[in-house]
Amino acid sequence: MSTKDTHIPEWLTVPFAGITPAPSQEKGQDLFPTGNWRSIRPVYRDKLPPCNNACGTNEKIQGYLDLVKRGKYLDAYALIKEDMPFPSVTGRVCYHPCEQACNRGKYDEAISIRAVERFLGDLGQALTNDVVKPGKPNGKKVAVVGSGPAGHSAAYQLARLGYKVTILEKSPKAGGLNRGGIPDWVLPQNILDREIERLEQLGVEIKTGVEVGKDVSWDDLKKNYDACVLAVGLIEPNSVKAEGEDKKGVHYGLPFLRDIGMGTSKVKLGARVAVIGGGNTAIDCAREALRQGAAEVTMITVEGNKNEMPASPEDLHDMLEEGVELMHGRAVTAVLGNGKVEALQLHKARFQGAINASPITVDREAPSERFAADNVIIAIGQRASLNWLPAEFKNERGTIKMDKFGRLGDTNFFAAGDIAQVGSGQPLMVVNAVGDGKRVAFNLDKVMRGEKLQPRTIPVDVIFDLNRMNMTYFPHFPRVQQEMLPTKTRTKTQDEVIQAFTEEQAVEEANRCFSCGTCNACDNCYLVCPEPCIARPERSNGMYKILVDYCKGCRVCIEECPTGCLEGVPELDFDTGVVRMDTAFAISPGLHGRQAQELKNLGDRPAKNI
Amino acid sequence: MSYTELTVWTRGIIMDKEGRDIVNSISASARIEGKYAQAMENYVDNPDRTNCPTRKYCRVSDNVLENELTYENEHPNIVVLVEGTMVKGWDYMRGMPPGGTLVINTHYTPDYMIRFVPGAERLAQLVCVDAAKIADHKWLYYRLGELGLDRLSTEGAAERNKSIAPDIAAPLIAAVVKTTGIVKMKTIEPMIANKHAFEVALNELHIMPLNPVAV
Repeated sequence: MSTKDTHIPEWLTVPFAGITPAPSQEKGQDLFPTGNWRSIRPVYRDKLPPCNNACGTNEKIQGYLDLVKRGKYLDAYALIKEDMPFPSVTGRVCYHPCEQACNRGKYDEAISIRAVERFLGDLGQALTNDVVKPGKPNGKKVAVVGSGPAGHSAAYQLARLGYKVTILEKSPKAGGLNRGGIPDWVLPQNILDREIERLEQLGVEIKTGVEVGKDVSWDDLKKNYDACVLAVGLIEPNSVKAEGEDKKGVHYGLPFLRDIGMGTSKVKLGARVAVIGGGNTAIDCAREALRQGAAEVTMITVEGNKNEMPASPEDLHDMLEEGVELMHGRAVTAVLGNGKVEALQLHKARFQGAINASPITVDREAPSERFAADNVIIAIGQRASLNWLPAEFKNERGTIKMDKFGRLGDTNFFAAGDIAQVGSGQPLMVVNAVGDGKRVAFNLDKVMRGEKLQPRTIPVDVIFDLNRMNMTYFPHFPRVQQEMLPTKTRTKTQDEVIQAFTEEQAVEEANRCFSCGTCNACDNCYLVCPEPCIARPERSNGMYKILVDYCKGCRVCIEECPTGCLEGVPELDFDTGVVRMDTAFAISPGLHGRQAQELKNLGDRPAKNI
Repeated sequence: MSYTELTVWTRGIIMDKEGRDIVNSISASARIEGKYAQAMENYVDNPDRTNCPTRKYCRVSDNVLENELTYENEHPNIVVLVEGTMVKGWDYMRGMPPGGTLVINTHYTPDYMIRFVPGAERLAQLVCVDAAKIADHKWLYYRLGELGLDRLSTEGAAERNKSIAPDIAAPLIAAVVKTTGIVKMKTIEPMIANKHAFEVALNELHIMPLNPVAV
């Protein structure tokens, strides 16, 4: 057969090798029946899964789900522990931004990542010795102020790096917001105690009852330690600025929960309780009020309806199930009563601009409403309390002035957690504080080693588009639901409401993971290659190798890769795509970067299973 | 006693004949000089697939070839890349003993290309020659009709010109022979069809001396 007299379409007029499509592609057999082969070559290029990207501390979620799938629970636990010091805590309390980002949510239902994390966290709690070991001591001393999520995370990472860490905690018990801001029926105290014990096993010293500004001064910190992480959190509750707010029976959200958590609460609630605020703390307060003996709990919010409330939809659902009433579009203008709360004066109100981020307009002209209540719990956020901080490090918003690495000027002081994140647009939640603590610990380590702090420049390819994966490989499958205590009885006790996954449930749920953009050792490429050009020493993530000198570029492996991890890079030019075969892998650090490292050393050492 | 292995990497169909011309002409010249020589293609490659990497082998020895039934060159002393982008593709340097030679058809200089070469410490010299330009290799860009004959999986059966090295093979042969002395210039020169390109290439080689091995 000759191409003489063949009509040559315009897109083929320059017969330069590489521009004509492969036979498996559209129009690939129009001009040349055997088509143009090997204009691309396949490479394994791991993308960042959206869950990993959305997680405040960038847990390698795909990595541990994959290990759970294979029954390697201990490896999975060790993998979580790289980024997260207390998976048993976040497995209970996290508002799981990962599940909101999960690609499976666009397909059927998101993976229940938090429940699997809790399963692994509980497994870690049951171990006699933790898998994490302290780093080789480097002789440097670091003080961490505050033992909440950010302080705990920073202390944990610093101990792993070999620092001698001392935590200074104001309260009689360590745990910060984890203890004081989260009720027992979400996070039992013994779970947190065990995690703090683990932290002490790493050599971290925790001094409770030490308040910076009172027991320890700024200069003491400067003199006695090589560096310091300020993870003091936001501890002063915001006021509603209503008349009579100082009456007996008015409580503030976080101190209310904190006193119960610390066991120092003397609060006796009446039958009718009003909770002011529409966030997650307000929800916890309302549910706690039921458990403290209140008969009727009403939540009063400025938001116009429940969808606008800045709260986790699941918690909101559970709260309504427990019988808490909602009252929207109102603000408290006065607390009425004779020395003690008897009622609230409410006015219609709305946010001036964006919901939850702008001042409130209260319509004082309209007739007021009277709302009878025995107690009021005000939970409308917290602010910083930084009287001890030198003025040069305070900013106009009343928080700490620092650079984008969390460093205060050119000192060895760093700030982490809510105190650093408030006002940044970042939602204030445990996992974000943990992530901030981790990053600050690494930045501090760099400063101590005299390295330059630089923003991360590696481009990260997050795989959001389901079309980049081969969805034909994934059947629809419903999410495994966590069991819950019955609504009627759970408000009478402090027992955990949400129940843990069994092993079978955890494996079943982990099996639903798409493994977006990363190799999960499905063996598909190995099986479909017609040559065969794909080799592997064993069936293991990232251990597949393409014999590129035999590959003829048919693209079958790329088309058939379920996770979108394989892609084609231009073969016949120097300007685009990959340069050298062995540099094609490491685009993101973490699990996938490590896979790339292992691939590079494939010949030198025995393959590992991660 | 000298024994030399030459491996030519080329691309299926579009440059398959060029690779074959190199190994055939060099082994034929070696035999004329009274040496033992053989040339063959790698049968597991895909020469009938456009652009696929394919290998051509040649062995030249003063003695009888003991490994003449071994199919692949395990320790090539000389590697030729007939198409420049192959340099970044895979480990074509594997098995090369120290003191090897790498010849690349490219318009880039050796300074630029060395960064892509895996295991460049084994090289005694890196040679770049812009063979496509020297051989006035126009068909690559616009002579589609004639190229078409060569792009229909004919594996050379319908080639327009049956002479040896009418095109880019000529400058590449010049580069190999001049830099390694595997055969004598005067034995190979009469075989080459494109004598002009062969002679021009002798003066237009970009040679980068690297790590010579003491004999």
